Amino acid sequence: MSYPSEANLQRAIAFFAALGIGVATYIAIAEAGGGAPTCLAGGTGCETVAKSSYSHLAGVNIAVFGIVGYVLLLTTAFFANDAARFGGFAVALGGFGCSIFLTYVEIFKIEAICQWCVASAVLMTILFLLNATRLIGYAGAEDAGAGHRELRPKESG
Amino acid sequence: MSNRREREKRKEERLRVESRAESADRRTKLLQLAAGAAFLAIVVVVVLIVVSASSGGDGGDTNLEGTAEVNSLLSGIPQREMLLGDPKAPVELVEFGDLQCPVCAGYAEEVLPPLIEAQVKRGEVKIDFRNFTIIGPQSTPAGAAALAAGAQGRGWNYLELFYRNQGGENSGYADDAFLEAVAKGAGVKDLAKWNQDRAKFEAKVEETTAEAVELDFNGTPSFAIKGPSTSGLKTLGTPESTGALEEAISEAS
Repeated sequence: MSYPSEANLQRAIAFFAALGIGVATYIAIAEAGGGAPTCLAGGTGCETVAKSSYSHLAGVNIAVFGIVGYVLLLTTAFFANDAARFGGFAVALGGFGCSIFLTYVEIFKIEAICQWCVASAVLMTILFLLNATRLIGYAGAEDAGAGHRELRPKESG
Repeated sequence: MSNRREREKRKEERLRVESRAESADRRTKLLQLAAGAAFLAIVVVVVLIVVSASSGGDGGDTNLEGTAEVNSLLSGIPQREMLLGDPKAPVELVEFGDLQCPVCAGYAEEVLPPLIEAQVKRGEVKIDFRNFTIIGPQSTPAGAAALAAGAQGRGWNYLELFYRNQGGENSGYADDAFLEAVAKGAGVKDLAKWNQDRAKFEAKVEETTAEAVELDFNGTPSFAIKGPSTSGLKTLGTPESTGALEEAISEAS
């Protein structure tokens, strides 16, 4: 079976992790001080979810945990070694598991859907698939010492 | 010379083979670890969902109904303590109620929602809930629990959710577990503070009950109104319908 190149997987992981940081940061800022993210098309689901008891864990907004997860995923995208491959997979697995549980809570417990939370769950699912592909395809591969798989900005000239 | 080159070649070949074997070994271990982690994650998620489902409601210990309905009704309306609506609204409707009172629950579900969705949302009327405990011994802790939720801006969510899950009068359902489940369902964020505040607010419940008696109320819910056209708080008794309350609001405006 052929896999996308590891460099492309790293770029995709970096892209979706950056989007995730944006989404989670928006949710965290909007909820700071008792507010809520704005749902598109004037829905009230975002406010309902933000004000439910599930929006915080040990007094900390769930979105803050999301930001930490996405930052870790972004970090792993900049390295091409087994630690980054497995670390990325483990963080994405945890995030994906949390997304499944939180989506269940939205549908069956709070009975409201927050579009921003769904966006984050979709991003985390994509990141889980990318990191799983990366681990299965490249676990045990030589570390990219020469930098050919390192995610680096293109050098000018 | 030729023997030496061959020895070096064989050594390089051996190192390559060893390196490949090491990589394969590392890969196997990593994939086994990943499979274990994935299995663990599945177990954790399933257990969380099962535990959460068996606890019912919005994370509490009792099945709660109407959480979404309450959230939708109160969405976007300011709340401060037990005051619902814009604090600058010209007309103030005061409701004296008992959380254990089934008639109050009927008002909360049928009579007040049209007012909340219209005049209160538009900032024309604000509603202040005050406890008037007449049903039984659990009424005071229940009322105090609502006030403690009000201290965190969730007082009306607490009231409305309590009413939608009310049990039989004095049947003992309104115990600490029920009160806490309602607090969770109402979205009270700091449950430890809510728990501490509850006892403190019992005095306030007794104070407003005494106020209702002074106003000559003898049943719940009883209403009073204050607006630009009233001189102070005008008692309304128990208006029978939304229309009757709307008429009183119109007269007070």
